[in-house]
Amino acid sequence: MVGLSIGEKNFIRGGIAQDLRCDGRKRLSYRPIGVETGVIPQANGSARVRVGGTDIIASVKAELGRPNPSQPDQGKVSINIDCSATAAPIFQGKGGEALSTELAVALRRCLLGGAGIDLSCLSIVEGKVCWDLYIDGLVVSSDGNLLDALGAAIKAALSNTGVPKVNVIAADATSADNQPEVDVSDEEFLQFDTSTVPVIMTLIKVGKHYIVDATEEEESQMSSAISMSINRQGHICGLTKRGGAGVDPSIVLDMISVAKHVSEHFINTLDSEIAAAEAREDDS
Amino acid sequence: MEFVSPEGLRLDGRRPTEMRQLRAAIGAVSKADGSAVFEMGNTKVIAAVYGPREVENKAELINDQALVRCEYTMANFSTGDRVRKPKGDRRSTEISLVIRQTMEACIMTHLMPRSQIDIFVQVLQADGGTRSACINAATLALADAGIPMRDLVTSCSAGYLNSTPLLDLNYVEDSAGGPDVTVGFLPKLDKVTLLQMDSKLSMDIFQSVMQLAIEGCKAIANYIREVLHENTKQLEYRRGV
Repeated sequence: MVGLSIGEKNFIRGGIAQDLRCDGRKRLSYRPIGVETGVIPQANGSARVRVGGTDIIASVKAELGRPNPSQPDQGKVSINIDCSATAAPIFQGKGGEALSTELAVALRRCLLGGAGIDLSCLSIVEGKVCWDLYIDGLVVSSDGNLLDALGAAIKAALSNTGVPKVNVIAADATSADNQPEVDVSDEEFLQFDTSTVPVIMTLIKVGKHYIVDATEEEESQMSSAISMSINRQGHICGLTKRGGAGVDPSIVLDMISVAKHVSEHFINTLDSEIAAAEAREDDS
Repeated sequence: MEFVSPEGLRLDGRRPTEMRQLRAAIGAVSKADGSAVFEMGNTKVIAAVYGPREVENKAELINDQALVRCEYTMANFSTGDRVRKPKGDRRSTEISLVIRQTMEACIMTHLMPRSQIDIFVQVLQADGGTRSACINAATLALADAGIPMRDLVTSCSAGYLNSTPLLDLNYVEDSAGGPDVTVGFLPKLDKVTLLQMDSKLSMDIFQSVMQLAIEGCKAIANYIREVLHENTKQLEYRRGV
């Protein structure tokens, strides 16, 4: 990104203070979201989400594996993010690794661990066989608000995911090391239930005000940001504070309540976009 | 295994001299100076060009021409089994080098001294012919960025299975172990800029396979010209001409 001049920085900050951002949006408005599902045919589920200039592709692959001994009745999910060099020249070679790792860790915190994705539906034979979901996110183009867009893309990809039906043939419950034989169906699929999957909402503090869905230029002016994942019930499933500036605790609580309020509308918009995308995919 | 049926149909229903369906779109990455998506059948790649811009590493600066860099990466989900290491493995390094050399030969680098042009290619879906799709996508992206070139560079692959020359191999045909000839071609200048082959072929059969690949390159060049033409019309329309 080309550096901003002092005049441009003042313009961005002044606009935010007056509730009129550079592209005409209000502080708490989102850019239009475009969702396409089924973009990667060889994956179990996939989606492409476009929020302004930000373009994300997420894919979900399911493989059979052994569950964790500490959680025998749950499947495993791993999230991996890659920032493609096409998004910015700085991401070439190892340059994108720091950002990719930061995004992956934030997503794991927000989406995994109990309140997010329901892992018990991925279990096939308790303690022996389960589904391993590999979620891969690729940032193709970046114009701010990567975390929210990644969360939306992963939710859309999970809605599109069909986990094959498995019939357990020889269930040998007595032997501890015998892997039971399973027959993976090619025909029948179980659609993943994503009504409990949370969305991620990032609120950025610029001066005295908060904005939602910041562009890259607006992000450069932030003093601090709070990203949190909220599900349909309004429960917070994960929280991250980013940015160097210290924030008064009351401000943190205020930001959380503002984010909750905005997220209700966002969840509905996202769900309807995902449903429309699935319908378009079924038609074509 | 039979790759060409007795009726003359390949595994995906194509004739031996038939190419897969081509689809291209310009301007996929809004932040890049030029970008394009190119699809050949199920192979889908996205190319983004950043430049000409200031050289990052002063040690690499060239005084009388532009520095061209290229990186080829495959997305984790691009192949049937997940690719564990999307960057830096030997195959990616080799293909990055090949694409860089091919594009550098046709960019008029002497017009942009002391500057840098970055070409990034990302494979979204791999089904054989990724090298060729990347070169075609890079050509479109460079044209979108307005970088002066001597000619369009197009690329296509051809092989020889069941005693038949086959145009535009997909992944199954490519992994059959037969010869795979990849050609990079400048259509207006009628010159070959890239030629790679693996496995073995007798000289006369090689002639016919290479000629088939060149015909494929010419067909792709026609398609690319149409796409660029259509894109320019759109730009004119948006300007209100």
